[in-house]
Amino acid sequence: MCGLCGCGEGAAHGVTGAGRVHAHPHETRRVSVERSILAHNREHAARLASRLAARGIDAIGLVGGPGAGKTALLEASFGRLGREAAAREVVVEGDCATDLDARRVVAAGARAVQVATGSLCHLDAQLVEHALESIALEDIRRLWIENVGNLVCPAPFPCGEHRRVVLVSVTEGDDKPEKYPALFAGADLLVISKTDLLPHVDFDAARCIAGARRARPGLPALLVSARSGAGLDAWLAWAGGGA
Amino acid sequence: MHEAKLCLSLLALAERALADAGGERIAAVCLSVGELSGVAPEALAAAFPICAAGTRADGAALRIERTPGRDLVLRELEVV
Repeated sequence: MCGLCGCGEGAAHGVTGAGRVHAHPHETRRVSVERSILAHNREHAARLASRLAARGIDAIGLVGGPGAGKTALLEASFGRLGREAAAREVVVEGDCATDLDARRVVAAGARAVQVATGSLCHLDAQLVEHALESIALEDIRRLWIENVGNLVCPAPFPCGEHRRVVLVSVTEGDDKPEKYPALFAGADLLVISKTDLLPHVDFDAARCIAGARRARPGLPALLVSARSGAGLDAWLAWAGGGA
Repeated sequence: MHEAKLCLSLLALAERALADAGGERIAAVCLSVGELSGVAPEALAAAFPICAAGTRADGAALRIERTPGRDLVLRELEVV
């Protein structure tokens, strides 16, 4: 009998891993699975996206590094829309801690739910759906899902949005799409933000856009300054052209 | 940072596939990790034995192949 597992086999056993379990090459069999590990969240996100669409709510995801200007872009957008229209906009704000961003967009006229993710590095469809339970969606026109500031982790996790925007601020550097291609591969729009700072930094917008398009061919790009208002009209036209 | 959570999803899928196949335990797990999936194979490999401890995949070998694209797929299991 095999001294390790009592299997009764005399054949040689290959020891694997930490040696706690030994493989029996003669008796293992291959089982084909071919299932995506990301599918659970993806299906959840697809259900949420269709539920929102059925209510006539356009959902836009915002991703980008911390400080890319996601919240500032929303503030400027709500300012441009005016109080009455902004009151029909809802923002789900993802951050590891605090409700600072939720307070900012509420001050700009929108409604908001803050999701404090703790140590979690990204939002997912379940977190967003849970957050939406605490808010009335009756007269909502648009939902913004502002992800945790992160250029890596949000990539494989759709959150129920219909379109996803990735922001790169000119202070972050034009090489970011080349360095973090996964996030750009899943984007529907590139927004280059803080363009009022262009005279003060070495940022090549053409390089940034080219890098993003290597990850996602044909990705549209907009240059926007929330501070000066440059590019806001084109941005709001894009945002308004949704599902 | 989220690879441990993905490992738990992977193990849940694998245990279901093991039960469907009528196996006793999992000797090896074969995964494909898309280059654009945003998933780090090294972090998965580090998290796997810890997450698998005490499950039917305890001590299982983890084999990872890189693929183009954005998905993370449980390809096949070797079961006993």
